[in-house]
Amino acid sequence: MAGIDVGGHGGKRSTNHEIPLIPFIDFLLCLVAFLLVTAVWSQMARINADARVPGPPQPDEPKDPPKEKQLHVEMKGDTKFQLVWKEGNTVVNTIDLDRKSVPVGNQGDYRFPDLAKKITDEWTANGTHRAASDLKLDQAVLHTDNSTPFSDVIAVIDAIYTPKREFSLGGKTDKVAAFNVTFAVN
Amino acid sequence: MSEKALSRFVQPVAVPGRRLLHHIPLKFVRKKVAGGGGRSVNSEIPLIPFIDFLLCIVLFLLASFSASGELPIDKTIKLPNAENVIDMTDAPMCAITGTQILVDGSPAGSTRVIEEANRLQRVEELFNILKNKRELWKQLNPGKDFPGVIVLQVDRKVQALVVKSVFQTAAFAGYPNVSFMVGRLGKQ
Repeated sequence: MAGIDVGGHGGKRSTNHEIPLIPFIDFLLCLVAFLLVTAVWSQMARINADARVPGPPQPDEPKDPPKEKQLHVEMKGDTKFQLVWKEGNTVVNTIDLDRKSVPVGNQGDYRFPDLAKKITDEWTANGTHRAASDLKLDQAVLHTDNSTPFSDVIAVIDAIYTPKREFSLGGKTDKVAAFNVTFAVN
Repeated sequence: MSEKALSRFVQPVAVPGRRLLHHIPLKFVRKKVAGGGGRSVNSEIPLIPFIDFLLCIVLFLLASFSASGELPIDKTIKLPNAENVIDMTDAPMCAITGTQILVDGSPAGSTRVIEEANRLQRVEELFNILKNKRELWKQLNPGKDFPGVIVLQVDRKVQALVVKSVFQTAAFAGYPNVSFMVGRLGKQ
């Protein structure tokens, strides 16, 4: 067992001491058990959405800024999606897509891989903000029925966030989603 | 030189083996004091490496320990999962269950009212709570820009109408940066 030996074997009281290792191990085991029980193993994350509320007016902001292309993703019933590129109120292009869901995991989640691929292709072909130094993101607007369950909404937002681009800020470059998602108010 | 004088240089040849205590005539005493000749069955547990290992575990667990209990998730809410997600942030939590809306655990409206009205609307109770929270933050952090971030915990079965109403109410109350809490799904 561990001990502290300072030498000397005089007739007086011994100065050598044994460290009580067993209670120390018991204490450590209790501490490990407590920390394991109270540990939080979180797998939570978040998915962003932007309400596009205009900020305070900037002095150098142009009065009539050029209208940018926006991708409108419409959930048309249970059978199809419609992707519409718009510049202001002008429709530039419309693409219809069948709604094919692929189940993922065992909690009833599913994905729309065809939608994700189409959105990626569309951004590659028509995306406006691509440079890493460009601090703006392309805008996607999600149109849903009022009765659509939230799990479907998240599956579509997840598909919209599939295309990624580089984003430089403060000398640091990260991969971020190419689109910023908001909800259509209708 | 005589033979007797040389006898002290003569070294007797003996069989190698134990020498001590073998003069004792009693066999059982000789066996006892000589240790029996077999391998010892007692063994020491290496305690020092064991303690080092325990200390490493304790340090790791202490480093990852969170006294605040981290993310308070309402047990009645089943969150959806997603792949393209970002890490959680520290922000007010708004939970939407099948029946009610809660802000940091306090009731802030009913989802039934929105569903029955069947139109997008501002949730007044939620709006007032969020507005007060924003005012409080500004008083506590004078001169700083308000981040306007809110995290929504929404049950996977809640209707889009309720989500959009809460989303819009949060934006009106000064929280335009809305995040939806989801489970992290592995990349396929």
